[in-house]
Amino acid sequence: MASLSLESQPRSIRPPAEQRYARELAVLAAQDSFPRPAGWHLSPRAVRSFLLGDPKLGVSRKFYGDDPLVDRAIVSLMSQQGLMLVGEPGTAKSLLSELLAAAISGTSALVVQGSAGTTEDHIRYGWNYALLLAEGPSEKALVPSPVLSAMRSGRIVRFEEITRCPPEVQDALISILSEKALALPELGSDAVAGATPGFNVIATANLRDRGVHEMSSALKRRFNFETVHPIAEPDFERELVLKQLAERLEPTGLTVSGEADVADILVRTFQDLRTGRTAEGASLNRPDAVMSTAEAVNVLHAAALEAAYFNDGKLSAAHVARQLQGVVLKDSPEDGKRLRAYVDHIVKERAGRSGAWKEFYQAARALKLG
Amino acid sequence: MEPVSLHDGARDLWVVPIRHHSPACAAHLERLIAAVQPVAILVEGPCDFDPLIDLVCDPRTRAPVAIVSMCEAPAGQPVRRVASYFPFCAHSPELIALQAAKARGIPAHFIDLPSTARAMRDEEGAPRSLLSDEQPFDVGDYVTALARELGCRDGNEVWDHLFESRLATPDWQSFFTDVAQYCACIRAASDPARMETDGTLEREAQMRAILTKIRTATQGPIIAVVGGFHAETLFAPAETQPLAAKKDAGRSWLIRYGMRQLDALSGYGAGLPLPGFYDRLWQAGNGQDLALDLITGFAAHLRASEAEAPSFPVIANAVEQAERLAALRGRPFPLRDDIIDAIRSSFIKGEIPVERVPLLTTLHDWLTGHAIGDVPASAGSPPLVEAVRQQAAALGFAVKDGERRSRQLDIYRKPRHRAASRFCHAMALIEARFCQRTAGPDFRHGAMLDRLHEVWSVSWSPLVEARLIELSEAADTLPEALAFVLAGKLAELSEQGKGRSALAAIDLFAAACRAGLEEEGEAVLAVIEAGIIEDAELGSVVAALTDLVLLRRGRETLGITQTGPIDHLIATAWRRVLILLPDLADCGAEQLRGAVGALADLRGLVELAQRSDAPMDRALFDEALAQLRLRDLPPMLEGAVTAFALIDGQAQASDLETRLKGELASGYVDPAERLAFLGGIIAIARELLWSVPAIIDTLDTMLADLDEDAFMALLPHLRLALMPLDPREVDRLAEDVATRIGVRADQVAVHLDIGEAELAANLALDKVLAQVLARDGLA
Repeated sequence: MASLSLESQPRSIRPPAEQRYARELAVLAAQDSFPRPAGWHLSPRAVRSFLLGDPKLGVSRKFYGDDPLVDRAIVSLMSQQGLMLVGEPGTAKSLLSELLAAAISGTSALVVQGSAGTTEDHIRYGWNYALLLAEGPSEKALVPSPVLSAMRSGRIVRFEEITRCPPEVQDALISILSEKALALPELGSDAVAGATPGFNVIATANLRDRGVHEMSSALKRRFNFETVHPIAEPDFERELVLKQLAERLEPTGLTVSGEADVADILVRTFQDLRTGRTAEGASLNRPDAVMSTAEAVNVLHAAALEAAYFNDGKLSAAHVARQLQGVVLKDSPEDGKRLRAYVDHIVKERAGRSGAWKEFYQAARALKLG
Repeated sequence: MEPVSLHDGARDLWVVPIRHHSPACAAHLERLIAAVQPVAILVEGPCDFDPLIDLVCDPRTRAPVAIVSMCEAPAGQPVRRVASYFPFCAHSPELIALQAAKARGIPAHFIDLPSTARAMRDEEGAPRSLLSDEQPFDVGDYVTALARELGCRDGNEVWDHLFESRLATPDWQSFFTDVAQYCACIRAASDPARMETDGTLEREAQMRAILTKIRTATQGPIIAVVGGFHAETLFAPAETQPLAAKKDAGRSWLIRYGMRQLDALSGYGAGLPLPGFYDRLWQAGNGQDLALDLITGFAAHLRASEAEAPSFPVIANAVEQAERLAALRGRPFPLRDDIIDAIRSSFIKGEIPVERVPLLTTLHDWLTGHAIGDVPASAGSPPLVEAVRQQAAALGFAVKDGERRSRQLDIYRKPRHRAASRFCHAMALIEARFCQRTAGPDFRHGAMLDRLHEVWSVSWSPLVEARLIELSEAADTLPEALAFVLAGKLAELSEQGKGRSALAAIDLFAAACRAGLEEEGEAVLAVIEAGIIEDAELGSVVAALTDLVLLRRGRETLGITQTGPIDHLIATAWRRVLILLPDLADCGAEQLRGAVGALADLRGLVELAQRSDAPMDRALFDEALAQLRLRDLPPMLEGAVTAFALIDGQAQASDLETRLKGELASGYVDPAERLAFLGGIIAIARELLWSVPAIIDTLDTMLADLDEDAFMALLPHLRLALMPLDPREVDRLAEDVATRIGVRADQVAVHLDIGEAELAANLALDKVLAQVLARDGLA
């Protein structure tokens, strides 16, 4: 893109969605004939097309597996309620929130990264203390949080990992969501920042990990919840994994071959281990480790790098098998035994029928899995 | 693809493509009939159902109803007949067509193959749904591709999106043309070989044949209402003669039907899922306030069912959500999936697992509906229903309405009441949901035997008939139905773990006997026997044997005439008890209480057997007990066994006394163990406290020798050991103690207004004070 070459800064590893898909967003905006809610850059239908793809306009599909969820999410963002995306790690919750914000507000940059160290200042506002001491409280000395910026400009703010914040910090959102206003008492007794149309909050949360906090029911009431599940359809997941691999390899200029066959094995393995049931109907012990699509992409990416830098660029099932260990052996030593059992019974059985599975089996057998 | 047509001008024939139970098709069919003014209406449906059309259109008939057809099952099937159903709901286009014909005074006919024809059954001879198969609407490449294109999740949403959304539009012509086009595309993508084997082609030939016959016999426009899948084939000329139903091959009845059974998701394969939703859409006539009505209605339902009801803002948000979803998806009003989606995102504040959450299950049930239709009394029904209804009426039960009534039965003095009781028990056993016993003697458990009456709460609801119709596939009379149900339950029991099934099997046997089915019930005894032989727990065998003895004792009232089989079983169980008894010596510490409990139950059983003259050999028991006594036993069990031996006459009171003295004076670390022997005695035979005075003497001597601390340590265990005593016995013991220490009984019990802990603390303080005073020489 011409504008990018003029920038003096090096290109970031991962540009935000509105930059990555700038062309698609422009096409959608140009074609968009449906009414747009106040403050929205696109109509709800165009937002939907942006996420789910529109082959006629050359818009790619970016979210896989649950189309009705996308509809519900878009509609929730038009309402008074915030949108809460929950689900297992690695189910593309953050990606979904980024895409929604980019399509609706034109930016996905307004984001609060929740952590144990998040304070109320990150949700309301802080101060430039040098100015505050020199001039006293003033609009100039006030450092708005992403939330306050979004309220003022009528955009979507994303709150990542909200359950990592202490509950009392989370609760600062309650009045903002119900009143759609934030008092700024330091600037005068009547000073209030009201939200302009287009403002809303997309929060993502993990309700199951260790070390996450509960949400108060008052906060829950102000959100519509959507659960993002791992992709159940192997074909979809394969398509997604391959697409993401291409996206990751593209800036590096590396090319590999044979990834399509290998992706089959990878996705099948992940689906089996994730659900505890193979496509043939055999049951197995599920590892505790998260076997998400995002992890599958990581495995394939690492395998591709190994193939490109250490081999002739031909990606094989053996590369994948070697990388699998790093995903599974994270949480518990038991997982190694479970993967071993999977390899010894299920993979072995398949190895008899296909060459690629045989390669996978042999490489997996050589792993030290405890 | 060629454009489809609805009308063959040359023959003045209208072929109307419909989907079963579709309100939009029904609404447009009404418009079409008004516009076309036909002289005859033909409906896809078995042609042998023609005689029932009058009943279907009877003003007293209220949907949902169904025509049930019974055919003889092919040889080798477990049931004698197979039933198939042809259901109607209020918004069935078929029903609308038949009612319109009646209102206009024009003839109506069914034109499909007779319900008894072979093409109406599958390879195994089981009936297909009599409505044509609608699977093509849900699966198949065409529908899947269309769903993806339209942004719908499945074929049902596609149907709703394309057609149900047009319920209120006036243009019936383009509506049906689109339905025909859609169905033609589905058909073009279907496998022709399958249509050959599944009877589709044969059925279509029949429809053409009847249609042609009626066409030649009448003048003026004719309407044929058929499943959209078949529509385009009906314009072709007939090549065969219509096939008539074979005489006496089967019979059909119009019966009440339920929304639950109508639901396509319940495995019935035709029609739309969640019929309650479509019923509301039909009632409303348009989709204007549908989301509002449904969402507030569901919230009210949640409130009424005491589930957590959503607050007003949540409801408002859900309605808004539904409207916006419909707008986003390009629909004139929120359809089924929009409303479900809206409820899903607004009502549930939390993660939704892949499996269903309770709220969505409730929503699903609610949208399915639970209405039950009604048919005129003259409709008739299958033989089993008739037989049972007659029997119920003859026994004085009300069968005209579904009201719940209470009936008191004098089972000892009035034979008719005893028969009615048996009938009720039989209905309970076949799970007809006709009656519930609210009071009466329980011969099975030997409880409430002094009651002379049984009280039943009875109601002849459509559910009763539905269950009987189900069973009528296997039986014509109540005893046959009973035998069938019993055989099913028996097979179930044999599949379950045998050790656990003995008690359940005894229950079943008792139920069978009460229902007057003694002979068939005897098969259950074999299961009981198998269970008992494998049972390794003395406790459960004793429980089973006790139940058997109780059954035997109540045999006259239960209607058991042959005691042979049950006596045989009692003998088997008794042998098992005697084998297991000496093994008690090997039980571990944690099973000790269970073992003593089993011994106590055994004592009860032995006494019950003596009283009721059960065939249990006492001498063998004495031997087994003697064997057990020879073993080295833990104190508690030893106490129990010694007590048992004493009342059995094997041991002397002096044996017990010697042993008790030794135990109470023993050097166990845990004070509880010193009293374990006593605990064992009391658990088995607390009357020994009085019949063997040495027990209390010994205990008294031991307690008198204790110092205060040791007494306090022992006290809780003493209480525990004496716990089985009932209040009368506690009083008697208190009296004894009082006499021993030379006071009146009422002086022993002192009521203090302070708590036990406080009293103990005060006493301890008192003691310390006394020591201090003594040390200082002030005492």
